[in-house]
Amino acid sequence: MTAFAIPLAVLRSEWIKLRTARSTYIALVAAFVLGLGVGLLDVFSVTGHWATMSAADRAGFDPVGDPLSGFQFGELALGALGVLAVSTEYATGMIRSTLIATPRRAVVYSAKALILGLFALLASELCAFAAFFLGQLVLRRRHLNVSVAAPHVLRAVTFAGLYMAVVAMVGFGLGALIRHTGGAMAAMFALVFLAYPAARAFDGSSYLPDHLTLVNAASALATLAPPTGPHAERIPSFGFACFDLALYLVVFLGLGAARALRDA
Amino acid sequence: MVEIQGLTKRFGGTTAVDDLSFRVEPGRVTGFLGPNGAGKSTTLRMILGLDTPTAGRTLIGGRPYRSLDKPLRVVGALLEAGAVHPARRARDHLAWLAASNALPADRVGDVLERTGLSSVAGKRVGAFSLGMRQRLGIAAALLGDPRILLFDEPVNGLDPQGVRWIRTLMRSMAAEDRAVLVSSHLISEMALTADHVIVIGRGRLLADTGMREFIDGAGPGASLEEAYMRLTAQAVDYRADAATIRTETGRPGR
Repeated sequence: MTAFAIPLAVLRSEWIKLRTARSTYIALVAAFVLGLGVGLLDVFSVTGHWATMSAADRAGFDPVGDPLSGFQFGELALGALGVLAVSTEYATGMIRSTLIATPRRAVVYSAKALILGLFALLASELCAFAAFFLGQLVLRRRHLNVSVAAPHVLRAVTFAGLYMAVVAMVGFGLGALIRHTGGAMAAMFALVFLAYPAARAFDGSSYLPDHLTLVNAASALATLAPPTGPHAERIPSFGFACFDLALYLVVFLGLGAARALRDA
Repeated sequence: MVEIQGLTKRFGGTTAVDDLSFRVEPGRVTGFLGPNGAGKSTTLRMILGLDTPTAGRTLIGGRPYRSLDKPLRVVGALLEAGAVHPARRARDHLAWLAASNALPADRVGDVLERTGLSSVAGKRVGAFSLGMRQRLGIAAALLGDPRILLFDEPVNGLDPQGVRWIRTLMRSMAAEDRAVLVSSHLISEMALTADHVIVIGRGRLLADTGMREFIDGAGPGASLEEAYMRLTAQAVDYRADAATIRTETGRPGR
């Protein structure tokens, strides 16, 4: 086995590509607007109606999960960023320029994945912590806020960001696998949103499909306390949700690699 | 120098390139001719490591393209003008290419100037005319100051000024002892540009000879076009019936 190294030059090249594409900025703005905006609407609604909320609703309130509720929408912008980072190269034929400049496909794929992964992780964590702190500012008016140092708070916010970055990489893997922007976008949306009702169909026999969906994994990762009530069984444990993230990363980056290493 | 040795490419049941061997020597412009579907583009793609040959190999200075560490410093290629992202600015397109091969950043400004694109360097490529895109493709090919240049249909869509500019560029590259391979359908243009011709048909080598010898071989007073037509008559995929052509061209006032 030969040593495998990604030359710094190729990483720099992929970074230039990412930061000179208009779609990168559009996806980032969408992720922040949705991620922060929807979470803020949620906490404003809670603080506005707290006096009239039922005891059950008050008990269900999560001072970390509610500000992060916009992530169910923001993740789609990150997933789209991942798809576009690779699918546009095939759609425009630019991949030929890329492979002429860097003929080793494994190097190109790894460099692309690494640059996108770091960028998505940074953006996602920024978005998660911004959503959390903005949310706490609003919640403070009703003394519903929590400190970032309280048990599990840091973990929940950090994993919310990590989760969004994983969705970006799932989009990337799908983009490399399908090579067609529209098709990869549809697959990414289906995987994130449609997998949830599909898994529910198995509720009668097994909760395993529920535990494997991204949406339910997010519910386990980005909240303070394990959920209660009739739907609680659909949510995987924290550990299982971490396994989900790793599984999605390996499967979709692997599928993308299998296709990307072949002739373009 | 580029060496093509027993190169064969099959797609499913069809053979696009069939046991092709030739060399592209430095110091001259080699014209790469053949009818549509003869396998010119497939051959160029295999030279550049974009397609894997079914059999045979291509070598760049004795090495397979995919083993080159910084290939843009060795080979410059112009493929179809579409190999760019339309939403990216021209300068940025060249910047990522330069970075990938660790080329000095000032090369981008150099090739923009050389191709007359300096004033539009900040424009998005999608707004470029076909001629400007072609110039951008050539700028990309020149980026690494390579000893070998491969041009696939470089004059497509260019105005007469652009055609002459490319011709002069290719001639000057050959004069600097670089190896230049250029594919084209425009036979008359080739007669002005190339010193050597390689003709293929249905994936097979039909001729590999000097331009002068090739034309003279077709008989006294023959043109490159006549020599080419005679050679490829049996190798074209689609051909209008000779009688039809005569009627069309014979119609007055058209």
